[in-house]
This record gives sequence, C-alpha cells and structure tokens, in this order.
Amino acid sequence: MASARESGRLKDANQKRILDEAARRRRMRKALEALEQDNFHDDPHADLVMSKKVPKFQETLESRGGRRKKARSAEYYKQRFRKTFAQLVEEDQNYNPDPPNYMSAQAPPSKVPERHFCAVCGFTSNYKCIPCGARYCSVEALRRADHPPKESYRMCKI
Amino acid sequence: MAISREVFVLDNGAYTAKVGISNSEHPRVIPNCIMKAKSERRRPFVGDQLEDCRDASGLFYILPFQKGYLVNWDVQKNVWDYIFSKECCPANFSETPLVVTEPYFNFPSIQEAMTEIFFEEYECKSLLRINAGDLSCYNYKKKNPGTLCCLLVDSGYSFTHVVPYIKGKKLKQGIRRIDVGGKMLTNHLKEIISYRQLHVMDETHVMNQVKEDACFVSQNFFRDMDIARKRDKENTIARDYVLPDFTTLRRGYVRSIDPVDKAGESEQQQILRLNNERFTVPEIMFHPSDLGISQMGIPEAICHSIGVCPVEAQPHLYANILLTGGCSLFPGFRERVEAEVRSRAPDDLDVQVTLPANPVTYAWHGGALLGQDSEFSNMTVSREEYEEEGHSLCFEKFDI
Repeated sequence: MASARESGRLKDANQKRILDEAARRRRMRKALEALEQDNFHDDPHADLVMSKKVPKFQETLESRGGRRKKARSAEYYKQRFRKTFAQLVEEDQNYNPDPPNYMSAQAPPSKVPERHFCAVCGFTSNYKCIPCGARYCSVEALRRADHPPKESYRMCKI
Repeated sequence: MAISREVFVLDNGAYTAKVGISNSEHPRVIPNCIMKAKSERRRPFVGDQLEDCRDASGLFYILPFQKGYLVNWDVQKNVWDYIFSKECCPANFSETPLVVTEPYFNFPSIQEAMTEIFFEEYECKSLLRINAGDLSCYNYKKKNPGTLCCLLVDSGYSFTHVVPYIKGKKLKQGIRRIDVGGKMLTNHLKEIISYRQLHVMDETHVMNQVKEDACFVSQNFFRDMDIARKRDKENTIARDYVLPDFTTLRRGYVRSIDPVDKAGESEQQQILRLNNERFTVPEIMFHPSDLGISQMGIPEAICHSIGVCPVEAQPHLYANILLTGGCSLFPGFRERVEAEVRSRAPDDLDVQVTLPANPVTYAWHGGALLGQDSEFSNMTVSREEYEEEGHSLCFEKFDI
C-alpha cells in the first residue's frame, strides 16, 4: 500500500464528491442538533403493550374519596398545553418583539478567533479534509476516519 | 425582620428538581425525568426511584424540559405527582405557600400553565413563581450583607445564563445566554468516546457519571494539550475509567493508568481510556466555537454583560461574581473563570469569583431564606386573588 510515494489525501479527494459551503453548514447544524438529543436509541419498552391499569400515580387513588374535584390526568395537561419549543419561540417573537427577550439574550459571537481540532483525536489540527471540510491532524487520523472503531456507529466526520 | 414561616420550595430544574420544606436542612435532589431501563420491563422509574433499578445500562430518558423550557407537561405532571407524594416529599399546599422556579424569559404560555396547574390541580394556597437566579442572588445577599450587586453565572443542564443583579434586581438587558450546558457536554463526550474507542451512545446515564468523575477545567489549555500528547509516565492527564457492570460495580470510577495489567481483573472490567477528553469537554463552556456554536464563552459573556450595566455598578459586579448550577462543579471552574475575567477586566477593578459549597442547591436555600422575609407575603399571589383576577395579576407580580 505504501509502495508508491503519492498523497492518499489527494487521490481520495478526486473520487469523493466535494461538499459545498451550504452542505457543510447543514451538516454542522445537524451535528449540533444531535447534541440536544435526549436519547440516541429507541424506547426499550416501545414494543410493550401497557395494561391500562399499570401506571398508577398517586392522584387517582387520593381523588377517589370525598373530594369534589377529580384530579385531571397527565394526558389532560399534555393536550391542554401542547406547544413545541419552536412554536413557543415564534409566539414570543410575535408578542414580545422588543428586546430584552429570549432571542436577544443569546450571547453574541466571540471576538476570539475559532480554534481547530482534529475530528478524530481531538488534538489541534492543521489540515482540512477536502471533500467535507472536517479538520484532522495527520494522515493517520485521516485513515482512521475511514475505519471508525465500530462499524455500527459511523459519524463519518471525514 | 425575620418571620418564622414554613414554605415549600421547588427549584424545578431541567435535570434535577430541588425540593423540600424551608425548615429542612437540605433539599432533596430528585432527577426531573422518567427513565426506562432495558432490564426492568415492568415499570418506568420516576425521579429517584432509579435507585431501585439494578441495571441502569442503556437507560432511556423521558424529560419534561426541552432546551431549558417546560414543554412536556404530561411527563412533568407525573414527576411532580411523585415528588409531592408520601413516598418522596409530601407537601400540604393548602397550608404551606409554594415557591417554584422558572427559567429566564420563560414563555408566557408556559407561565400561564404553571399558574394554572398549581392553583387548580395542586390547589395551592399561595404561590410565588420566580427565577432560580433571583433566589441565588437573595441567598448571596443574605450571606454577604452590604453587597450592592451580584453577577450570577448559572451553568445548568440546558444552558448557561449570565445575569447582572443590581441592588437585588436583575437587569434584563444584561442577561446573556450561552447554549451550552451539562446535557450538551455529556452528549459530546458520548460522541467522541463512541468515535474513538467504544460505542457508548446509548449510555447517557453512565457517560454523565464519567463526565462528573473524570472531567476538569483546564487552567492552561494548550499546555494540557501538550501533556496529553505525551506517552506513558510523562502524560499526567490520561486516566482509565472502569465502567460499571451492574453486577459487582454499580458506579464506575477513575483510576490511574496501570502499566502492568493485572491479569484476570482487567479481563472482566470494561475500561475507557480518557485523555484529552477530560478537559476538552468542559472547555466548550469557555469556547463554544470549538463545537461550531457561534457564541461567547463564559468569561467573555460575563464582561459583555457587565459592559451594558451602569458604569457605577460595574466595579461591584466584578467583585461579586457568583457561580451556581451543576456545571460549576467541574474542578478548576472557579479558578479559570476568575483568571480569564481578571485578564479581561479593567485592571483597577477587583475581580472576585465565589463558588458556594453546593452550587446545585444554592438557589433552593435562597428560596428557603426568602420565605422568612417580611416582604414574602407581598410577593406571592393567593388563590383568592388568582380566582378574582386571573393570569394578568400573575404576570404583573411575578417578574420572570
């Protein structure tokens, strides 16, 4: 493999599709969204059919006695206040457009220049992958990026 | 003037709820979520019921909060029902006033829902909704009488807020939010470990413990990077983390790297080798741009926030920087914030950064103290008032 003295980086780059700026930004945004995820895997109980009697939370037992008001179920509140985060932000911008508000409180971009780290090993990087723009620090890292340790989980950073 | 009055304080965080009656010494810290375990298929675990769970691997989280704001009300209702029940932290809202916290700039419809649920569902006698930071600031003022200002840095699960308080009042124009919190740090750690050595994407719970046990804030980032690059003995940063197996070991631990493998022992143990991960993960709070988030880091945001405050308040703000929230527990956090703010601040001003003994429960203790304040009853809204005037009174009285 190492017989010919040629750049693996340049050779591979010709074969791969080069992502444009918009696609790179999209990819970046996706990566940031992934960092907001609650779970990576699916609900382990998703296949279970819950008996209606199972989730007994306190309120149903207490409200049975002489109390006049029946406690509302969690489902009621789910329906009553159903609004996604995006809806809430949009609503806030319509009703409360003048700062200070949620949007205006966001910290502005830093004045310090960005630093660059290798997407594979985390150390400082001097090079950029030609097709996708991810950073890497050495030929070794670039090679490892094509063979992540676990095939089932590919971030495909480079 | 102090009044002896019991209040129930609920500091309702996105990761943990800090709850208790004001006369108890410490609040209970209850995970604010419902969890499902692979091993236990019969029931979900609500809050601290997780302690009953033998095998907490592959834990699935159902959270009431999203990006720091309460959106999943059915989940929250179930967690609250558990918290207020006899099993956890019994509350008698018909007699005890309730103090409940909300995030800064909480959206109006969430505020309405909060008011409604506590008055109509939990039948509270009187309610005070307040920002957790207001309580921390109150606590700080009580502990340090005579301070005029306080700059609060609350690094929580969903985000970090930098808030200037002048004479006990927050200056809303000065509030800065950095969208980096403990959740993002844990998820980032999960990603890089999964990419570099072992697939741990499903193990949020365990990796959060890894983060808590092993990560620290570097005092000199590039020097530590150089150390982490070294081999063997010269690398004083690398550590092994023994992962829990949930039969003999319930929580993992950090141990120094053992060059001589003790055969047998290490065969059974699963180990993560942590190197630059230990400090590049908390570093994101200081340089969000490392992950591509175009926002300032904490020290820069502190100076930016103080910059919009009145000039006469600025020296007091620099001298009273208060750190709260779970992310301020990283070793070295206070020192780093102090050093960086010092280097940015005008050199004739004093910079002092305080980290309370328990930054997680600091706001709760503030709430407990506020309950004793003679002004307290003027701050709350009673059920009669709510029934009379509805939400408009609450928006008027509660400054969220």
